[in-house]
Amino acid sequence: MHEIGVRETVQFAGLTFNWETLVMTWLSMAIVLFIAVLATRNLKLVPTGAQNIVEALIVWLREQVATNLGPKGEFLCPLIVTLFLFLIVANWLGLVPTMASPTNDLNTTLGLALLIVLIVHVLGLYMKGMHYVKHFFQPFPIFVVINVIEEVAKPITLAFRLFGNILAGEILIIILLKLVPIWMPIPSVAWLAFSLFIGGVQAFIFTSLSMAYLANAVKESEE
Amino acid sequence: MIDINATLIAQMLNFLLLVVLLRIFAYKPIVKVLKEREDRIANSIKKADDDAAAAQATLKEYQDQLAGARLKAQDIMDKAEKRANEEHETSIQATKTEIQQMKEAAQQEIQRERAQAVEKLKGEVVALSVAAAEKIVSKKINAAENEVLIKEFIDQLDKDKIGDLPC
Repeated sequence: MHEIGVRETVQFAGLTFNWETLVMTWLSMAIVLFIAVLATRNLKLVPTGAQNIVEALIVWLREQVATNLGPKGEFLCPLIVTLFLFLIVANWLGLVPTMASPTNDLNTTLGLALLIVLIVHVLGLYMKGMHYVKHFFQPFPIFVVINVIEEVAKPITLAFRLFGNILAGEILIIILLKLVPIWMPIPSVAWLAFSLFIGGVQAFIFTSLSMAYLANAVKESEE
Repeated sequence: MIDINATLIAQMLNFLLLVVLLRIFAYKPIVKVLKEREDRIANSIKKADDDAAAAQATLKEYQDQLAGARLKAQDIMDKAEKRANEEHETSIQATKTEIQQMKEAAQQEIQRERAQAVEKLKGEVVALSVAAAEKIVSKKINAAENEVLIKEFIDQLDKDKIGDLPC
């Protein structure tokens, strides 16, 4: 990202694409796949090295899914695992010099958020049928207005939260590098460390909220 | 900066592709390994429990057998002791009886021999008496001579006869 806010675009089949975002996305995907394949290349019953880390991550996310989505949501586990791994790699990629996070583009975050919300509604209709539609009109039919606003707000908040955090982090890194002389690295390094933290936290928040939304559609209702 | 374009659709497809790839390359194998490990641990625990139970049962069995064997050994020893005592007793009894029999046999022998001797003696006495009587009869008998004769005979008798036989 050389000039803040200006994106290099390419035209393909009459459509406009943000070239840098796409390249960085593919890079993130490659890194995630590389780590996954590296960790699972030689799986053993007694785990060692990278297998331990990836296994611990998957076990932790599986537990999260099990507690939030219940036994019916187990098939969504790969989605949640991928979401978390991709987001954390994507968020941290922007901290490497000359690289940019795919998540600093609203297209990425909104795309993911819309995908999640789409999955939520499709699953809700598929698993609960009319009951799922009916719950938008409860306790009184007039509440449908509030419920629809809530449903619309879900992907927007999800997308803008991640986008804002990551873009702001990268912008501040560039600004700090320009403002502070090179012999005074403390502000940059401090902000870099904080960005690392933010990247992890935002990935976790996005994943957790996705799980919560999915739980709405998948989990057995209490009544 | 926040222009929405076709990248949005592309990112959705990218992400779905990543989900599919990760599911194939990482998620499934790892879940499989986790399941395997879980099963193995569960099996190990179950096996350990079973083994412990089996060991306990075997130990109990051995202890029972040992106790039984000890009782049996005690029984055998008691019996053997009793029998030895009995045999000892009977052998002593037998010896005593034998001694008694021998004693009785010896006494009978003595009795018989004495009776024989007495019988023999009687015969001799009778013969002598007959001889004396013949002598007396063949001589002229007067009282004085008779007296002397009988006295002589008896003296002779005493002299000739064997010591102190009571008859």
